[in-house]
This record gives sequence, C-alpha cells and structure tokens, in this order.
Amino acid sequence: MISISDISFSQGLAVSVLCTPLLAAGIANLIKEKFSWLTPLISSFLLLLTALGTAVLLADAGIPDQKFSIPWFTLNNKIVSIGFLLDPTTLTMVTVVTWVSFFVHIFSIGYMAQDKNVIRYFSLLGFFTFAMLGLVMSNNLLVTFCFWELVGFSSYRLIGHWHEKQAAAQASTKAYLLNKVGDLGFLIGLMILWSQAGNLDIDAFTAIDPTWLTTAGICIFFGVVGKSAQFPLLNWLPDAMEGPTPVSALIHAATMVAAGVFLLIRIEPIFTANSLLIVASVGAITAVWGALGALVQFDIKKILAYSTISQLGLMVMAIGSGAMQGAYEHLLHHAFFKAGLFLGTGSILHAMQQVIKHEQPAFDVQDIRSLGGLRKKLPVTYLGFLICAASLAGLPLTAGFISKEMILTDVQTWAGSIFSIRWLVLLSAWVVTFLTPLYTFRLVWYVFFGKENLTPVREVPMIMRIPVLALAFGSISFLFYQGQLNSLTNWLMGTTHHTPFSITVISVSLIILSLIIGYLLYRSRSVKAVAPWLAPHHLLDWIDLQIIILSHLFSRITSFVDKNLIDLFIHQLIYVQVTMAFITNWTDRYILDGLVNGSASAARGVGIFARSIVNGKIQSYLLWAMAGLLIFILWIIY
Amino acid sequence: MHLLSYLIFIPIVAALVILAMPARLSNAFRAVSLTVNILQLLVLLAIVLNFKISAGYQLIEKTPWITMNLGAWGELRAEYFVALDGLSFPLVALSVFIMFIATVSSWTIEQNRKGYFVLLLTLNGAILGSFCALDFLLFYVFFEFMLLPMYFLIGIWGGPKREYASIKFFLYTLLGSIFILIVLVGLYLSTKTPGQADLVHTFNVLYMQDPANLISGSALALDSNSYLGPYSFRLWAFLLLFVGFIIKLPAVPFHTWLPDAHVEAPTPISVILAALLLKFGGYGLLRFAYPIFPDGAIYFSWLVGFIGLLSIIYGALNAMASKDLKRLIAYSSVSHMGFVLLGIASATVEGITGAVYQMFSHGIISAMLFLIAGVLYDRTHDRLIENYSGLATKMKGYTAFVLIAFFASMGLPGFAGFIGEVLVLFGAFQSKFINGLIPSWMALAATFGLLLGAGYYLWTIQRMFYGLFSVKNYLGNLADLDSREYSLLIPLALAALVFGILPQLLLNYINPFAAEFVIRWFAPETLIP
Repeated sequence: MISISDISFSQGLAVSVLCTPLLAAGIANLIKEKFSWLTPLISSFLLLLTALGTAVLLADAGIPDQKFSIPWFTLNNKIVSIGFLLDPTTLTMVTVVTWVSFFVHIFSIGYMAQDKNVIRYFSLLGFFTFAMLGLVMSNNLLVTFCFWELVGFSSYRLIGHWHEKQAAAQASTKAYLLNKVGDLGFLIGLMILWSQAGNLDIDAFTAIDPTWLTTAGICIFFGVVGKSAQFPLLNWLPDAMEGPTPVSALIHAATMVAAGVFLLIRIEPIFTANSLLIVASVGAITAVWGALGALVQFDIKKILAYSTISQLGLMVMAIGSGAMQGAYEHLLHHAFFKAGLFLGTGSILHAMQQVIKHEQPAFDVQDIRSLGGLRKKLPVTYLGFLICAASLAGLPLTAGFISKEMILTDVQTWAGSIFSIRWLVLLSAWVVTFLTPLYTFRLVWYVFFGKENLTPVREVPMIMRIPVLALAFGSISFLFYQGQLNSLTNWLMGTTHHTPFSITVISVSLIILSLIIGYLLYRSRSVKAVAPWLAPHHLLDWIDLQIIILSHLFSRITSFVDKNLIDLFIHQLIYVQVTMAFITNWTDRYILDGLVNGSASAARGVGIFARSIVNGKIQSYLLWAMAGLLIFILWIIY
Repeated sequence: MHLLSYLIFIPIVAALVILAMPARLSNAFRAVSLTVNILQLLVLLAIVLNFKISAGYQLIEKTPWITMNLGAWGELRAEYFVALDGLSFPLVALSVFIMFIATVSSWTIEQNRKGYFVLLLTLNGAILGSFCALDFLLFYVFFEFMLLPMYFLIGIWGGPKREYASIKFFLYTLLGSIFILIVLVGLYLSTKTPGQADLVHTFNVLYMQDPANLISGSALALDSNSYLGPYSFRLWAFLLLFVGFIIKLPAVPFHTWLPDAHVEAPTPISVILAALLLKFGGYGLLRFAYPIFPDGAIYFSWLVGFIGLLSIIYGALNAMASKDLKRLIAYSSVSHMGFVLLGIASATVEGITGAVYQMFSHGIISAMLFLIAGVLYDRTHDRLIENYSGLATKMKGYTAFVLIAFFASMGLPGFAGFIGEVLVLFGAFQSKFINGLIPSWMALAATFGLLLGAGYYLWTIQRMFYGLFSVKNYLGNLADLDSREYSLLIPLALAALVFGILPQLLLNYINPFAAEFVIRWFAPETLIP
C-alpha cells in the first residue's frame, strides 16, 4: 500500500492535474440553474489551474521516468493497478491537452454564452478533459480502456448537445456506435493479452508468443481505427461536426481523435513488423481518402473534419513506418493548429450567426460558398486562421512543416530503394503533402477573399479572439518545447542526419505547385458544386446502413421466433394440459365416483397421500402445504 | 447470533403480523414493511461486520428439521442449515438492498395493500432463505415458496394481460422446479451422512458436493452404471438441474415467460423479479449443478457456453425489436444474464468471479432500469417507445438517470456492469488455454452483444429523449422526478458507481469463492490431459 509520505511532489501534482477537471465537472453540476453564468468562469478557472499545474509538472520532470501505481483490484492473485507513467511523452501530451482544453474553455465562455444548457456543456467539457488526461497518463491497458470508453461517452454527449436537432441526435449515436465497433477490437486485444500475460501493464508484454502479440496488436489497432477515424470507421467524424464548434476543436480535432495515435506510440513495442505494415497501409488509405474528401466538401466544418481524418491517417501511417518521433510531433502540432482552425471557424460562425438573425432569407453559414471577403471584417480571426492554415498546409517556418519533414524522411528510409508495397505508402505521403495545401487554401480563399456579400459582420468578442491567437502562436512557436528547438537548429545548421536536402526541396516545391494550382482553380470561386458521389463517406455510410438493416432483419426474425415458435409451442402445451385436465376431471366425476363409494375413496386418498411421501413425491406435498397456506391467507384478506 | 435467521424470519413474522391487523389500517402496512427493511439493513450491517474475508462458510446455523424413520428406506433427515459464503453473501446483501428499494417503490400501491404487503414480505423471507439455505430440501421449500407470492403479485396487481403472464410464469418455473425436484430426490437417495454407522440419507448440500458421500452403486454415484439413452444418470441429473435453473435465469429458449411477466408486473415486482429472482438461475448452477456434478458440467460445457452466447445475442436482437420500453429492458436482462452463463461455462476464476459480479451488478442496474420504465408509465400509462420524443427537454432529472442506467447497462467503465462483463469475457477467452472447456470464439462472438446493447439503448435514447418534444395520447403536464423517485434512483446509481470504481469491495468476497470453486472441481491439471 502507498502511504502519503511515499508520494513525491510530481506524483501528487500529476494526480491533482488529473482530478481537477473532474472536480470542475462535479462543481458545475452543483450550480443552480439560476446562477448558470457562474459555471463557465469556475470551470475555466479550474482549467487554468490544471494547465499551470502541467506546466510545473513539465518543468519539474526529472529523469528517470516517474512510474507509480495504486492497486485497483486483485483477481486470482493477479493485481490490476491504476498505473501512472510520467515520461516526457506523457508530459508533453498532458500539457497540450490541458492548454488546448483551457483555450477551448475560454473560447466557450463567449461562444456558448446564450446557450440554455451551459452547465451541462461545461460539466461535460471538464469530464472529457479528465478522461483524456487519464487515458494519457495510464500505464495499464485496462485502465486506458476505461478512460478510452469515457472519452467516447463525453464525445457522444457533446456531439448531441443540441439534441433537439435530429441531425445532432443521429450524429451522436453514429459516433458512439462506430467507436464501439473499434472498442470491441480493443477489448479483444485485452482478452488476448490477459490470457497470455495475465497482466495488462503496458510494459508487461515482452514474453508473449509473437503470433499472439501480432494478433493483439492488430486488435488494439482496430480500436485506434474507431477512435482516430481511420478507414473504414471514419465516416462518423464529419457527422460529429453537428456538435458545438469548440467541442469539435477540442475533441474531434486536437485530443480525443489523436488519442488513438497516442496509444499506438505508447504500445509501440507490441507491434511486430507484419502488424506495422497493416497500420501503415490503413493510415495511408485514410490520409489520401480524407484529403480527397476535404477537397470536395463545401461545409467549412466538414472540410476541417476531413482534413483531421487525413492528418490522423498521416500520423498512423508514420507510426506504421517507424516514424515514431515525427508522428508524435505532428500529433502535438496538429493539436494546436487544428484546434486554432476550429476555434477560428467558431468565430466566423459566431459572427455570421449574429448577422443571420436579421438577414432574410436565411442561408447556411457553414457553406463556404455563401461566405467571402471576411479578411477585412474579421482581421484578428483572419490572422489566426491563416497562421494555423499555413501550419496545416506545411508551409516552411511553421510547426506543421517540421513534423511533416520528419515523417517524410522516415517513410522514405523505411520504403527503401527496392520496390515493395511500402512504396505505395510513400506515394500516398507525397500525395497528401500535395493535397493538403490545396484544400487548405481553397478554404481560405473561399472564406476570406473574394467579394463580400454581407454587410454588418463584427469581429467576435475579445474572449474568443485570444484563444485563436494563442493557438496560432503555438503552431508557429519553435521555442514551445525543447525538442522543437533541436529540430530547428538541426534544420538550419544542416547537421541533422535525417532530413536530406532533397526531401525538403521536393516537398517545398510540391507545396508551391499546389498553391499555384489552387490559386488558379479556386481564386475565381468558379467551382460551385461537385458530384455528391465524390464525397467519399457515402460508400461507408451505405455499408453501415446495410449492416443496420441486416441487424434489424435479424431482430425481426428473433422476435418472430419468440412470438410464433416458442410461445406457440408453449400455448399448445398448455392447451394439451388443460384438455387432459378436463378429461381426467370428467373421468373422475362420471366413472370413478360411480364405482367407488365415499368411504372407500377417502381411504384411497389417504393411502395415496401417504405413499406419495414414502415414494419421495414431496413435490405434491409441498404444493399442498403451500396452496393450503395461501388459500388461508387469501381467505383472510378477502 | 442467529443473524441469518433474523434476516429470513423477520419478514415472515411481519407478514403474519400484518395478516392479523385489520385491513382498514392500510397505511400501517407500508410502515411495518419499511420497518422490516430497516431492521434487515441493520442485520446486514452486523453480518458485514462479522463476515471474514476468506473462503468458506460462515455464520452457520444448523438444527435438525425433519427426521423421519422410513424403515427399509433408511432415515430421512433434513436440517435447517443456513450459512453464507463468498457466493451467497453478495447476493444476500443485494437482496436486502433491493427489497428496501422495492418497498419504497410500492408506496403508491393502492389496491388491497394488506394482501400486497403480506405477499411482499413472504417473498422477502423466501428469497433470503433460498440464498442462505445449504440443505437442499430447505432450499427447495424456500425456492417454491417464492413462486406463489410472485404468481399472485403479478396476477392481482399486474397490467391488462396479467392472468396470461402470471400463468405463463407459473408454468415455466413450475416445470423448472419439477426438474430440480427429480434430481433432489435422486440425490437424496444417493447420499449418505458421513461418519454414521447406519445409512442415514441427507439433504445436506455440502455432503452432496463430496463424491465420497455418494453411496456406491446408487443411481447418481460416480461409479454408477445406470444409463438412460446416450447419457449416464449423472449426466441426465446435471441436465435436469441445468434446465431447471436456466429457466429461472432465463436463457434462450426458456425465456419467453420473462418479457410477459415484466410487462404485466407492477414496477416493484418487476424490480424484484429482475434484480433477485433471475439470480437464482446463476446461483443454482454455482451452488448445486456445478459442484455436485462437475463431470456433467465438463461434459456439457460447450452446450452451457453456447446457450449463454445464444442468450446474449438473441436477447439483444429481441431487445432491438421491442416496441415497448419495459419489454426492451426485459430482453436486455436475457442478454446480460447470458454473460453469467458464459462465465460459469468457462469454469475459470475470472469467469466465475465475473459471473457472480455480473449477477450483482445486473441486480442493481436492472432495478434502476425497471424503476425508470415505471416512472414514465406512472405518468402516462403508456410504454410504447414510438409515442415519445424529446423527453430530454422536459424531464431533465429523469433523462439524467435514464442515461446513467442505460450506460451502466451498456457496460460503461465506472459502472459495476463493466467489471462483470470484462471478467466474464477474460475468463471465457482464457478457458481454452486453461481448461479447454469452451472455445475462444465464444468470447469473441459475445462481444457483439455489447455492440448490440449499445445499439438498442442509444436508439431508444435517440427516439424517446432526443428530437423535439412530443408525447402522443397524453395531454397532461409531464412532471420531472419527485423526491420519492429520486430517493429510489440515487442509491442505486451510487451503488452502480461504487462497485464499478471500487470492485475490490466485492471481489474480496467473490474471488476466494471462485478460486476455491475452480481448484476443487475444475482444477486445470485434471482437465487437460
């Protein structure tokens, strides 16, 4: 057992960091409806404390890694413990999660100011942050799985925040179910690991038979496919955009969907070469699929959702091809620039919604074709959005560029010089490098350039401008943490062993080419529509629908079997029994009674009764006794 | 100390007291009933304090009950023998807790309160007696004694089709009882009391569990040569017990009494039925069928596991097809009790522990679910899912508890249901590597039950609680939960959370039982050649 004195400062701080958002969620629920305006302030304040706590934790992080655990339960002499692992990987992720969550909280103060259910909103936001931090800190896969499910739950609730809208209700159900499909894979992976190792601590799987390890790895990867919206479980993410935009920023861009990638990095040792190739291929398909999807959408949030899918695919592909460091850095950078893009989008939507109240007829504010020329009206938002977009597109001197270079380099090395399936993965990495600036700047041109078609748009309140700028700053800041600084110096000094100059040249020229093509294509805003079948999620939606129809068919069949086969059989049985009873009754009354006189039958009755005990027919005895008692009871009652 | 006897007989004495009271004191009956529950909770507290965390039977009370010299047949000896072990202790605690909830939930019963509370208290005593009894005859008496109050409680206080439902319930369970009775008599005739010079037959379950006490040459002895068709008498006896108990569980295809009984039963009775009566299925298998006939359990393990899996999937599919909220919840019980069967079939420590944990957690969660269905029915007298929409906007407190109950039932981590299901799945998957009893694919297929569970619950939330508010066929104002309903739901929700977050509280008791159970009857080295 652990006593208080055994807990070091950073351990205590880590636990406090984990629990403060939960506390915020709890406090929010205690606030009366009348004082609901207090909730955003209290929650944001507690999140600020959490974020500051993580900063201290990061600064205090010592070597060796901190590992400690609290026993959760013991089963069959195997201890399952709530383990914490505080290494640099965990701590940077914890920092990013809490800071992004804090900015989203701040932004939500403005964005959700007029919402009726602001208490529930902030409470769930806090709960999500707690679950996400738990997921990141955990050193035990069962505990990770618990938090994994809990982030899914908060995502479900937040997507359905405006549940009076049918689309939001459906999107939340879809998101949870598709996540659950992936979770089953995760659970099966846990079953395999438990049966082989008897312990689910992340570092306990070294001695397992490689075949089982590969299988378990692929199963857990299936969980990642669900949570990180990889092919073929990716079509829930665009629908999840029905949730409030800050939620999309926090959960469906920066943190929860990245949790899958983080988990892959955590459990990397259990992947064998074969399973890694599967990981890389799935990531590659997703990356291209998502980028193409983003290119044909006109809904601003869905463009960003597909972009998230594509970027997550890129990270997963990177992990599959051994670019662990690049994938992780890209994950952190992506958290900043994508959250910034979503919050910027939130600002745009917020500003437009203020206008649309007076505008007749109403139009879809999320459709980029109805937006335009906003760079003058929303200059601050424009600045933040542009920086984040540059980072997403991977323009030089942004965070996105550095991590993309790292990924490209490692994939190139991994692919080797002899043609194999790995080359296709590499090719897709290049394709994504080309497509990302194309769809990103298509979005920017549509929204911020071109002719203005609305007059009275006003910049959003300060409380919503600051988070966007802060996140934008995060996505260009090289000094954000130590590793970043190293990459920069390495790159500038040319001392890096791993980014050949050729790769930089190719990627930069691809980006420039992409920008030129994009300029020519979209500057004129002439592309007004694309064929609906080009939106790639339709195929997956159709498949899901077929599965649902099939399961409904099965449920009709089982319901039919219950009503018309099993119950029919029972009814027939009862019918036969009742008929038999009538026959015996008739026989008794008209035949036996005629033959046997009263005293004889009494003697016979006693005889049968006695024999029934001796023969062990206690059933009838008991039934008689109880029936007698109950008749007595009922007789008294009535 | 006689703690267990207090637990069993306080309600029975109280039932007699109410019987003696005049019917016009209708409010007093509720008070007496509630007093009984409070007394039982106090006794339970004493039991918790006295119960040592270790394997083995405790708080034993043993006195001769029926002794009858049958001449050539030897001597009939039945005892009043009650005790608790790691299996029955959680179930007894659950029973006391749920009976308390059921009494408070019965507060709104208006029709013939005297009869209602007499029957409720009788049921209470019978349930506790059955969980505590270690004499097979005593168990059987209590077990049968549950049947009749239940029959009347559904048949008199139930919904429109109550007669049909109660007769169906009665016939199904009576059939199960007859199967159990046949084995009971057979076992009695085959078991002798150890340490006695003369042949003294016994109903003592602990004696029956030890093959050394089986009379050599008798029908159910290990060396028996009696065959009937393809199987020996012992295997038949296992099958009879198995069918007898899975009717209670209920498992597919013996489950169709359950939806009807639930739909027609008044809310408190549904709660007791789901939370406690179903548990006798799993309890009976773990107490009687498996320890007394481990050879049968091993021989039929594939069948047991398969029926468990079938119940999980089939129950979930049927829940999805249900149009009535209460029927949906009833079928979800079938699905969840399938996990109990699957865990038992695996005969691994994880599986057995998970099965008992699942019984306990299902007791708490299904009680919540049926109370929730009752809340809506009390207001509108309509349970059809399609008639509701957007309830979340009008009934916020209610929606919060619906979400808690639904997600707890789906096995969301943090709730007790998760621990039970995960342990069962771990055990079922492992079985192939440990004792070879059930194949691993059963565990894999069972996970689909979790997906289907999420499907029907979320679909229900989407249809009934999300969207724009509308209620068909009802014009009144839909009130949110009142304080009595909160007082029912909050303790259950807390219990579901506490046992989900701190599983060790229960595992302390269940795990030693499961470990001992597996070592004694299903030790891996005796199974894998």
